[in-house]
Amino acid sequence: MVAGRFVGQSVLRREDPRLVSGHGRYVDDVRVPGMVHAAFVRSHVARARIAALDVAAAERLPGVRAVYTARDLEPLIVGPLGATMYLSAPIPSPVALASGDVRYPGQPVALVLADSRYLAEDACELVRLDYDVATPVMDMETAAESEILVHPERGSNVVSQSRRWDDDLELAIRGAPYVVTRTFRQPRQSHTPMEPHGVVASWDRFDGELRIWCTSQRVHEVRATMGRVTGIPEQRIHVVQRDVGGAFGQKGAMRPEEIAVVLAACKAGVAVKWVEDRHENLVAGGHARSDRIAVTMGLDHEGGIIGAELDHLEDAGAYPSLGSVGGLVAMMFPGAYRMGGVNWSTRAVFTNSCGRAPYRGPWNIESLAREQIMDAAAREMGLDPVELRRRNVIARTDMPFTNASGMTYADIDPAAVLAETLRRFDYPEFLEEQSEQRGGGRRIGVGVSLFVEPTALGTGTMLGTEAAHVKVSLAGKVTVALGTSSHGQSIATTMAQIAADELGVDIEDVSVVDGETDITPIGGGTGGSRSGVIGGGATHRAAGHVRDKVLRVAAELMEAAPEDLETDRGRIQVRGTPTRSVSLAQVAHAAYVDTKLLPAGVEPGLEALVRYSTPAITFANACHICVVEILPSGQVEILRYVVVEDCGAMINPMVVHGQISGGVVQGIGGALYERFCYDEDGNPLTTTFMDYLIPTSTEVPFIEISHLNSPARGPGGYKGVGEGGAIGAVPAVRNAISDALGADVTDGVRPCDLFESTPLAGGSSR
Amino acid sequence: MKPAPFRLHRPDRVAEAIELLSVYGDEAKVLAGGQSLMPLLALRLARFEELVDLNRIGELSGISFDGEELVIGAMTRQADVEVAPEVRKSAPLLARALRYVGHFQIRNRGTVGGSLAHADPAAELPAVAMVLGAVVDVVGPRGARQVPAEELFAERWTTVLDVDELLVSVRIPVMPAEAGFAVEEVARRHGDFAMAGVACALSSGHGRVDRARIALFGVGRTPLLCPLVAKEMEGSLLDELHPAALDELAALATADLDPPDDVHATGSYRRAVAAHLVGRALINSLEELRRA
Ligand SMILES: Cc1cc2nc3c(=O)[nH]c(=O)nc-3n(C[C@H](O)[C@H](O)[C@H](O)COP(=O)(O)OP(=O)(O)OC[C@H]3O[C@@H](n4cnc5c(N)ncnc54)[C@H](O)[C@@H]3O)c2cc1C
Repeated sequence: MVAGRFVGQSVLRREDPRLVSGHGRYVDDVRVPGMVHAAFVRSHVARARIAALDVAAAERLPGVRAVYTARDLEPLIVGPLGATMYLSAPIPSPVALASGDVRYPGQPVALVLADSRYLAEDACELVRLDYDVATPVMDMETAAESEILVHPERGSNVVSQSRRWDDDLELAIRGAPYVVTRTFRQPRQSHTPMEPHGVVASWDRFDGELRIWCTSQRVHEVRATMGRVTGIPEQRIHVVQRDVGGAFGQKGAMRPEEIAVVLAACKAGVAVKWVEDRHENLVAGGHARSDRIAVTMGLDHEGGIIGAELDHLEDAGAYPSLGSVGGLVAMMFPGAYRMGGVNWSTRAVFTNSCGRAPYRGPWNIESLAREQIMDAAAREMGLDPVELRRRNVIARTDMPFTNASGMTYADIDPAAVLAETLRRFDYPEFLEEQSEQRGGGRRIGVGVSLFVEPTALGTGTMLGTEAAHVKVSLAGKVTVALGTSSHGQSIATTMAQIAADELGVDIEDVSVVDGETDITPIGGGTGGSRSGVIGGGATHRAAGHVRDKVLRVAAELMEAAPEDLETDRGRIQVRGTPTRSVSLAQVAHAAYVDTKLLPAGVEPGLEALVRYSTPAITFANACHICVVEILPSGQVEILRYVVVEDCGAMINPMVVHGQISGGVVQGIGGALYERFCYDEDGNPLTTTFMDYLIPTSTEVPFIEISHLNSPARGPGGYKGVGEGGAIGAVPAVRNAISDALGADVTDGVRPCDLFESTPLAGGSSR
Repeated sequence: MKPAPFRLHRPDRVAEAIELLSVYGDEAKVLAGGQSLMPLLALRLARFEELVDLNRIGELSGISFDGEELVIGAMTRQADVEVAPEVRKSAPLLARALRYVGHFQIRNRGTVGGSLAHADPAAELPAVAMVLGAVVDVVGPRGARQVPAEELFAERWTTVLDVDELLVSVRIPVMPAEAGFAVEEVARRHGDFAMAGVACALSSGHGRVDRARIALFGVGRTPLLCPLVAKEMEGSLLDELHPAALDELAALATADLDPPDDVHATGSYRRAVAAHLVGRALINSLEELRRA
């Protein structure tokens, strides 16, 4: 694909002037006349029967409009509360407000509407909520066998399980010259978007229209969900958002609180605002990771991988908002390597904790497990971990390649990505330096992680297609409307780049609209690294359609052949004779007004709506190398971080860098800082940013990023790039620490974990 | 995360503030930089019906030095203290320690008096005040009194001040020319409260340590002075304080500690890392002292 005037350039983000100057418009900035404010009474315990719930005192507080419990809202609910794509998943339907019992700490029990959030919270304190507290299920390891059931009506704490086992393979693995077994865990994390959940809802019973302002990854899903829940005809539900301050998967489905607020607005007949605060978001806004995988890998004398066995266990919490990721974990486990085969069993279990929500590479434990066990195996064999990877890695010449779990890759070149990363990093030189510094007593280690990233998944769900509606106005200006829901992905910039190049106009002449159900095509929103691939493909196709028409009309106006024309900066000219040209506005005039000028057979109007669907999965691939030093105190300092990414053709390299950097930071968080904790009784312990630690600018190294380009087959050759940073960073950091220690790090680590495994010398060391 | 209702009083003078405090007693709370109090109120972990805001009381802010003592008004912002030339000159340890207090945004609002009065066991300034032999000026309805920093901290988040008393300033005696200081800590991230920390001030004459003050923070219910270490060190020849001796002193300083486990660290880690930090602090302050 030839570089365009805009595509492939680091065009500055048009979102930035308003965002960096504090003029973004988030849910909390929405004000509707007569609006009241909601606050929730929440469960303080993990599991209990509600013995008494008395709202009378709260109702009497001046300024309080209404106090609702499940009994008030349930009559309004006519359909399931789950998101469309998970309606058939084996997960319980979300519950707007708890009735009868509570199943996780922070579960909403009652809802207060008042003239201000302050008053609403005052009233919450007046609600009398008595429980018969019961022992909760908090440990995923024992949940499946526990007599205590998170959802008694389901009869089991197992959400779902899968197994594929070949006994011959098992024998081969167990009998291999090298057999390496490890169990890896990752701590429970919160997505911590800067803007937490929230919603403003207004039900106008006179015009029968429900208006919702939200912060979501899928505005069309918000409409679909609320249509099902309330029975209000979907075309009468209008969902809008402007800026969304991050989501990372947490905003893919409506939260029970958001649904309760919309229902409350319908019941009370006033506009209601609720913005989740940080405490609520950390405790009950959706959690992630929190899984465990036991891996056994068998290798031959040369380091060839005979096969691997996986046992994956996932903590789904009480109300997960997605089905199990176990299947994808198993399918992606072989990563970029040839393996003889993979046996797996996976299981997801309920616990009385905050439900699991997808988080940037929800299946990431496959990369963590594979890349860490590769290092463990290399150590056991006395082989350089990089060499072990080289011996097993697949290359472009292997494509299409079906991995040992049965997933077929196309258009990737992991061998080249690995080689390029090592070259940029200068691995041999590092090894020399490392041995010098080790001699001086410093604990320095390097970690490599190589992985294949499945992007833009979703055939057969709402996520499989996306449409773009490209319109040229009478003045020759362009609007692109998409079913995406940008929440930091720079869609307003990147899609404008594509449309501007396709149409041959200036980027300033293109506007991109998303996040509004009434004026955008139905779409799957933004998530799963899909918007560049599928939204970009749709924009390409739709703009291409319009361009074809522009050329036909212009050819007629200039009495030239369409093939002889080119477009440039809003003008259509005869190639080689720029003096013979018409403007896009002239073409639009013919298309909308002076329609008799149109060539025969050409319909009036200058717009196109084209729906695009991708191949099943578009594969990207990357390699990370991280160098750490473990200080005597057990603190980890990241000394260097290198990424080489192959996400095909880049629409905007700066945006790609942003996606990778953000992901790497979250991965560093997962490896070193973030850990949502409960005590044994189910009390959340890390409920503010004082205790739930996310990496800040002082913990994050400079990230060196470079690229290879193995284009995908779709329009433009784009691949997704949203999740890889977060997937690759956890194993890179952990491998580096393991290398520095000479021992495997099998869970998130704190300084005290690294300190105790290698006690300090006296105060005289650094 | 919105505070329960309160009335905000904004006196212009110390006397008015004391008057308000004596009228409302334990229903009132003083508001300084708000960096500790506001989160507590917003999370409804604390509630007070009356807040007495000190931010308009000009007489509570400022730094002065009379040749013997550095006097810092309670409402002086941590950020201003950090860069004040008088502080860098006469109490360099205070300036160094402030860099560990949260982030500069927090220090722009946070006050010296607030940090001392809040008495967080993991805070830097209380330990620094102790090793520098600081004294706080306290004013209340029953008059003024002075409390040495060593006696100020009663319990976790609790000082010996009465509810109607105000901490108005802190006095830091100037240290002799032959002195060395260090503050060392280990926190999860830069700006977090320390998992363990130590402040140290040494002075010497004729080749011997004549005064040694070491205080630990983040490992007990209050900042902890280490009198045993001081006793061992005072009178020692500087030349005797070789690394092995310092390791022993570090072990001595931390022998009786029994910090609890929490989500950030085990108690045993805090204790072990405290010993490591004491060793480092002694080395660094001796080095500075030898250079002086
Ligand atoms: C994110 C974050 C990180 C932080 N990290 C650190 C850290 O690493 N180390 C550290 O030491 N601190 C840290 N802090 C706390 C910060 O230093 C506070 O500023 C300080 O503890 C309190 O000072 P303040 O002026 O904000 O007091 P306020 O919050 O206004 O008051 C705190 C308490 O002291 C009382 N008080 C205040 N002034 C007086 C007075 N003159 N007389 C009597 N009582 C008074 C108040 O009534 C209240 O009980 C952090 C704070 C935040 C938000």
